[in-house]
Amino acid sequence: MNKNWNRRDFLKKSSAATLAALAAGAPVASLLTSCGRSKKIEATADTVILLWMAGGMAHTETFDPKAYAPFQKGMESNRVLSTFPSFPTALDGIKFSEGLQSIGSVMDKGTLIRSYVAADMGFILHSRHQYHWHTCYEPPQTVAAPHIGAWIANQLGPKNPVIPAFIDIGQRFSVGEAEELKAFHTAGFLGNEYGPFMIPDPSQGLECARPPVGMDAKRFERRNQLYDSLISKSPMGEFGSDYQKESLRRSMEQAYMLLNSPEAKAFDLSLEPKEIYDIYNTGRFGLGCLLARRLTQQGARFISVTTEYEPFKGFDTHENGHTRMVDMKKMIDGPVAQLVKDLDKSGHLNRTMIILASEFSRDMMVEGRPGATVKEQVDQPNVVSDMKFYGMHRHFTDGCSILMFGGGIKKGFVYGKTADERPCKTIESPVKIDQIHQTIYHALGIPPDTQYEIEKRPFYTTPDGKGERIKEIMA
Amino acid sequence: MKTKSPFVKAIIFSGKVFLLLLATGLINEVLAKENQPVKANSSGFLTFLGRLHPMIVHFPIGLLYAALLFEFIAWKSNARNFFAATKVLVFTGALSSILSVVFGLVLSKTDSYGSSILSIHQWIGIATMAFAIVTAYCYQKGSRKIQYLMLFATVLGVTVAGHYGAELTHGEDYLSSAFSDNSAVAATNTGEEDNLPDFILASQKTPLSESQLQDLNIQVRTVFAHHCYSCHGPLKMKGDLRLDSKEGIFKGGKNGSVFTPGRPEKSELIRRVSLPANDKDVMPSKGQRLSLNEIQVLSYWIRQGAPWPTGPEKSLYRQAELEPRNPEIPQATGDLTNPIDRFVNAYFEKNNIKWGTPVNDRLYIRRVYLDVIGLLPPADSVDAFINDKHPEKRARLVNSLLARNDDYAQHWLTFWNDALRNDYTGTGYITNGRSDITKWLYTSIRNNKPYNEFVKELISPDSSSLGFIRGIEWRGVVNASQRTEMQAAQNVSQVFMGLNLKCASCHDSFISDWKLDQSYAFANIFSDSLLEINRCDKPTGKFAGRQILYKQLGQINSSASKSERLKELADSLVQPRDGRLYRTLVNRIWAQLMGRGIVEPVDAMDNKPWSQDLLDWLAYNFVANGCDIKKLIYEIAISKTYQLPSVAVKDAGLISAPGFKFAGMLRKRLTAEQFADAVSEAIQPVYGDSMIVYNLLPKEIKGTIPFPRASLVKNDPFLTALGRPNRETVTTSRSSNANLLQALELTNGAQFNAVIKQAAAKWKKKYPDPKKMVENMYRNTLGRLPNAAEEKTALLALGNEPTENNIQDFIWAMAMHPEFQLLF
Repeated sequence: MNKNWNRRDFLKKSSAATLAALAAGAPVASLLTSCGRSKKIEATADTVILLWMAGGMAHTETFDPKAYAPFQKGMESNRVLSTFPSFPTALDGIKFSEGLQSIGSVMDKGTLIRSYVAADMGFILHSRHQYHWHTCYEPPQTVAAPHIGAWIANQLGPKNPVIPAFIDIGQRFSVGEAEELKAFHTAGFLGNEYGPFMIPDPSQGLECARPPVGMDAKRFERRNQLYDSLISKSPMGEFGSDYQKESLRRSMEQAYMLLNSPEAKAFDLSLEPKEIYDIYNTGRFGLGCLLARRLTQQGARFISVTTEYEPFKGFDTHENGHTRMVDMKKMIDGPVAQLVKDLDKSGHLNRTMIILASEFSRDMMVEGRPGATVKEQVDQPNVVSDMKFYGMHRHFTDGCSILMFGGGIKKGFVYGKTADERPCKTIESPVKIDQIHQTIYHALGIPPDTQYEIEKRPFYTTPDGKGERIKEIMA
Repeated sequence: MKTKSPFVKAIIFSGKVFLLLLATGLINEVLAKENQPVKANSSGFLTFLGRLHPMIVHFPIGLLYAALLFEFIAWKSNARNFFAATKVLVFTGALSSILSVVFGLVLSKTDSYGSSILSIHQWIGIATMAFAIVTAYCYQKGSRKIQYLMLFATVLGVTVAGHYGAELTHGEDYLSSAFSDNSAVAATNTGEEDNLPDFILASQKTPLSESQLQDLNIQVRTVFAHHCYSCHGPLKMKGDLRLDSKEGIFKGGKNGSVFTPGRPEKSELIRRVSLPANDKDVMPSKGQRLSLNEIQVLSYWIRQGAPWPTGPEKSLYRQAELEPRNPEIPQATGDLTNPIDRFVNAYFEKNNIKWGTPVNDRLYIRRVYLDVIGLLPPADSVDAFINDKHPEKRARLVNSLLARNDDYAQHWLTFWNDALRNDYTGTGYITNGRSDITKWLYTSIRNNKPYNEFVKELISPDSSSLGFIRGIEWRGVVNASQRTEMQAAQNVSQVFMGLNLKCASCHDSFISDWKLDQSYAFANIFSDSLLEINRCDKPTGKFAGRQILYKQLGQINSSASKSERLKELADSLVQPRDGRLYRTLVNRIWAQLMGRGIVEPVDAMDNKPWSQDLLDWLAYNFVANGCDIKKLIYEIAISKTYQLPSVAVKDAGLISAPGFKFAGMLRKRLTAEQFADAVSEAIQPVYGDSMIVYNLLPKEIKGTIPFPRASLVKNDPFLTALGRPNRETVTTSRSSNANLLQALELTNGAQFNAVIKQAAAKWKKKYPDPKKMVENMYRNTLGRLPNAAEEKTALLALGNEPTENNIQDFIWAMAMHPEFQLLF
């Protein structure tokens, strides 16, 4: 199972038509054109896994804990910076909030950024900040901006031709703000072809990657043969060849290959040894991490796994912040740490970059950021009379934590700092979203000035092609 | 010598390979000609090989020249010991000449070289290769005299071929190829666009005439615009230098003047652009380098003393006429009596294109059904139509379809929803930051509202049609170029005027003459109070007034109320003298029916139409007919032009490439909605009645819906995969390229599989006889009976007693059939 994708396999698997399509498509073209553009970048990663903490994960309750104030009836809200005690991690002098021991133990394999500053968009709307995080552009835009996964799919193509280049695990669109979520889960002007392959429920992942339910492999093959045969017998040849027909046949063939390929087994989580499966099995997010790991080992390009955004659920704590965080930590701690360990053990971590992030952080008192507060959306009394008011319930944009592992990221490194007293804002090496994107692109060997001409205007991966990667965190 | 030496063998072998390649090349060429006007596609790898040619050619040049030099030395010094070396040089020279020719042929096929110089270069090159082979042969067998003679002839050939090759690479075509993806940029406003004027090529010494001066000025500014504006323009002023105005060019930067008039060799500008790519001083420091031709333009201009014409500057960009025009309709010939056909006939004559045979009834009825009402023709209607003997049956068919008001509306609703970014769900609704206009839109299309009224009601709306100019509001602060007033300015100009204002709403445009303040003046018409001009999202403290983009169309009373202003704007835009508005519309409808606009892209109406006369006449006639869209569709659909065989395009990119030649409808793929509806009609309904957004539609619609049509349901993963856009921004054309995600949705998507399953159960009951099932499936989906081979294949797959599984698989294969999914 554990093999690297090489050219020979590639030739074996791909039919001539697919090969021609790939040769004519983005990867080769970008190789040729990039010569004249920027200096060629030596890629340090081939695969990216984004672990999305949807809803605003409080830094002070997770990877950047401050003074612990245990719950007491009648305590002043302003006194509460963290509602958990902290514990030491694998990094010297660095503590995490209680409940994240497993992740703490793998921090020697990655970098902790403590100074991400989310955009100030004058109002908190989760989906809008998420749009900004994933596309690097603030909505609305005059053209449909592509998701970072779509850019990567467009620039690099699939790593293994039978695994879609952009896979999105765990997000359903049947929840609140669904339309706003759809607005950035898209390849935008790059075209549907680079859009996300959605797997809303990882435990059902196999359904997305095997012949339709109730159809065995033999019948699937027969059906495909019938299709080919009916076309070859039809008088259509007299119309000559056109791109619509060619692309239709080619994509049907690719779909057939994918659904019929041995790699599709990666989608089958039941093949995982029980003891490992159990570590990951904390729900859809945890199993999403397991699926991401299995797909990475079979040659995925970009995978996003989300805890799923749903208004007032998950990390979107408007009340009961403390108790909710206990559950959320259980959900992420084991799977995230295991993902890092597994990929490290199988050697894939060297060429796989894992990023764990959220659209912004939370605080008990400050809404928005110090000096640029926005309309308060959460009723937080000054005195905590009840457990349900104990937690980080307001939306804070001025200091957030991001974890990064593998793919050329420094090991056992900490970058940036937030204040130890309220407001717990970034006080050292602030990081903006375009820097995060450029760091990812750079690791993948995608030049910083990569652009796509739409309506005769250049549209860059990051606004105006600006934003510099964070050199300090690259090994 | 008895046995052939390895050299000779190698050369003979290479010769054979070459002949084979040449033959393939010729066949290709013939094929490519047959598929006019579309150029053969080529893969990146071939292109790469071809581009090795310029490197490889230096081998025969160097080797053969050296061989001649050795012979010369040997002859002068009367030495014989050079012979062995000369022989090696001749052989390797001959070998490399074969390679050069092969790669050169590849290059000529993959890259765009259109000139006659190419064929001269090609044939001299091939002749030279032949000479080189013969020479090599002579060095094996012939006398010294013949060896001298042949070598000399070969070197002569190399020289001449090399000369033409150099002309090709650095010559006339180079500059224009840099422009080729930017068709709006016109080198001059004469017919001969994209070519360097002769006087520059010839480095004319005599004083330039006034028009030559203008041409030179355009050339110089075009070079600056392409390579320099992005860093030395309104956005950035690196080195305090601006090259986007006469003033800036002559003022120079912080290091002083950038050129010395009359002395290109002393000019910093020429020095910097001529430096090697890796030099730290080279300009442009980013992006594509100047071609030799472009450098030549600048040098020539400086040598002439850097002249700059007086008076207003000519635009660098092609600008379409605003006024309407009523061109004379060319003579009718034979059965070409429809004005459209007469214009197209004139175009065909000019471009040497022959009329094809009109498509047969079966294809025609399928086309008009799908184009006019978005539905498949029922099998019985197809038969009846074919058997109909009435001479006017095609026109009667189109008329009868246009009369089906609700079917028509349910089809065109999709097109207008895309264009007016109207949707049933989407961003903005959650915070009441957006309004839908579905009721108004459906009714307007259904009633065939005259287009001028249609536009007026959208620009100067009541509550039912407000949604279009209202835009989408997100909570919080948005980029200044995305304020709802600016969205209105952008969307109105894009949809109705075929004009891209998006660049110019952030800074002065680099791709047109539109300026930031013009965009703001236009946006202010939609705004309660004047908007502060923001340049690249930074406030400037300046304000623009209120002004229509085209002043000729009238003034806006800036102090009037917003609703009065909008009324003024609406009246101004729809007046008949606004030819642009109507050209834009007729071009859009033409593109819907013919697969490509007369102008392309359809939102860039300043681009050159393939027939200005046809476009102008259609627009003029449209207004004369009372802005009746159905009438327009009728006239196009009954024309011989529409009935031409469809043209296959090998690469979607070629559709909007410059130099496009019209030869008939481009092949189309069914849209997401057409496909879903076709499946619903021919096989099994894709949507249930409960999926229809009745609450957003006019009440009267109940009872008019033949089955739940895809245009009336909310967007879903199935439609998204098949190309229905999320209507956050204006969409005026959809891609008809298939892709993997789409194929996956169709191959194992839950939604589509459920439809197939239901269909199989139903069909099993309905057609116990497999033969009948196959026949009916073919008739329903493709409008024809299966041929013998198809029937045999299908029956074999179904078996004598078809199981539901077998039926499902057969149905699936038919739904995926390209003949079902494409419009021929």
